[in-house]
Amino acid sequence: MSERPTADELAEAIEEFLAGEVLPTLDDQRARFRMLVALNALGIVRRELAKLPPEDDAEQRELAARIRRGDVPAGTLALVKADVEERLKVASPRYLDRYPDGD
Amino acid sequence: MIADMRDALQAVLGPISEPVLLPGGASKEAWAVDADGRRLLVRRAAGGVIHRHTLSLRDEFAVLQAAHAAGVKVPEPVLYIEDLDGREAFVMERIEGETIGRRIVRIPVPERLPLQMAEELAKIHALPPEELPFLEEAPIDRLADELDEVGEPHPAIELGLWWLRENRPPLREPVVVHGDFRIGNLVVDESGLVGVLDWEFAHLDDPARDLSFALVRAWRFGVPHLRLGGIADAEPYLDRYNDLTGFDVRPEELDYWELAGNVAWAVGCLTQAQRHLSGHDRSVELAILGRLGAEVEYEICHLLERHGVT
Repeated sequence: MSERPTADELAEAIEEFLAGEVLPTLDDQRARFRMLVALNALGIVRRELAKLPPEDDAEQRELAARIRRGDVPAGTLALVKADVEERLKVASPRYLDRYPDGD
Repeated sequence: MIADMRDALQAVLGPISEPVLLPGGASKEAWAVDADGRRLLVRRAAGGVIHRHTLSLRDEFAVLQAAHAAGVKVPEPVLYIEDLDGREAFVMERIEGETIGRRIVRIPVPERLPLQMAEELAKIHALPPEELPFLEEAPIDRLADELDEVGEPHPAIELGLWWLRENRPPLREPVVVHGDFRIGNLVVDESGLVGVLDWEFAHLDDPARDLSFALVRAWRFGVPHLRLGGIADAEPYLDRYNDLTGFDVRPEELDYWELAGNVAWAVGCLTQAQRHLSGHDRSVELAILGRLGAEVEYEICHLLERHGVT
């Protein structure tokens, strides 16, 4: 499973936002100092993330290509849905709670 | 920036109030300004393009004019400006009311809103296509091309596309459609619907597709059991639309195109994230859509289950 943006790409987006858009608006010296410390900490997180091996998406690519060819045996949806659920537990964990009332 | 904008606008509109840049809109700027006692909104091109199939501002202005002439509730189009401080723009009336979906479902929803939505769509779908010769068709197969351009594997979206290919209803004669008709693009006040905004996705299509877009779960704003944008059930809306148009859209068609709308938005989330990842338009808001698209993929799976797929 590979997800874009990756964790590092998300951290980079946050870093750009904080350094580029929020920091210049901070007048309070204490808040400025703590923002710089926070950006430093975020830099540590990014370097930590950079050490992780890249995720392997070969299996997902093969599954996607198979479905595109119309090769969809019974049970495919259950497999795919379970994978989406795993991704949601990271991306938006409370989303799944809202489901029963949509039925 | 504001001074340049004021000078450029004054050159075409005469004396104006200080222009105010409104929040939101990465691909288009929106400026509020008053001129000659009129409350105006200036829509101007910005850096990014949401979607390569969006209309130019010139064409969008022409669609707005046609809609206004046909009595569709839209802001009155005022003026197209080919070069406003270096970019294309148009001026329209600024209408008052709520425009953010999340707010609409939290105020008491005007009782007639679902029927008014059907009434506006009926008028839009009767617009004469020959007066808007630049409008093109948007086949759903194009979604697969857009997904390929993103280049990431998304089996849930593939399953949605597969089901849409296998279960295509008989196509209806294409009509002029709004292309993004959902709660978030409507202006509402206590009397109900006062304006339909954001015409940049107008094209020629099956009217049932346009009718179903407002059902997509992502735009129910926290009220998921109310299928029409979190405000009402779909049936009265469908019945009113059918009464007015005689198109006799079947509930199964709504189901089909609701799934298609989810697939389109799932792909849309990925293409929005690409605007950030490609460096074209750096923004946390765009970036996070790449991950939040999983919500839409889950809904695709949920709808496929209801259609009996396993």
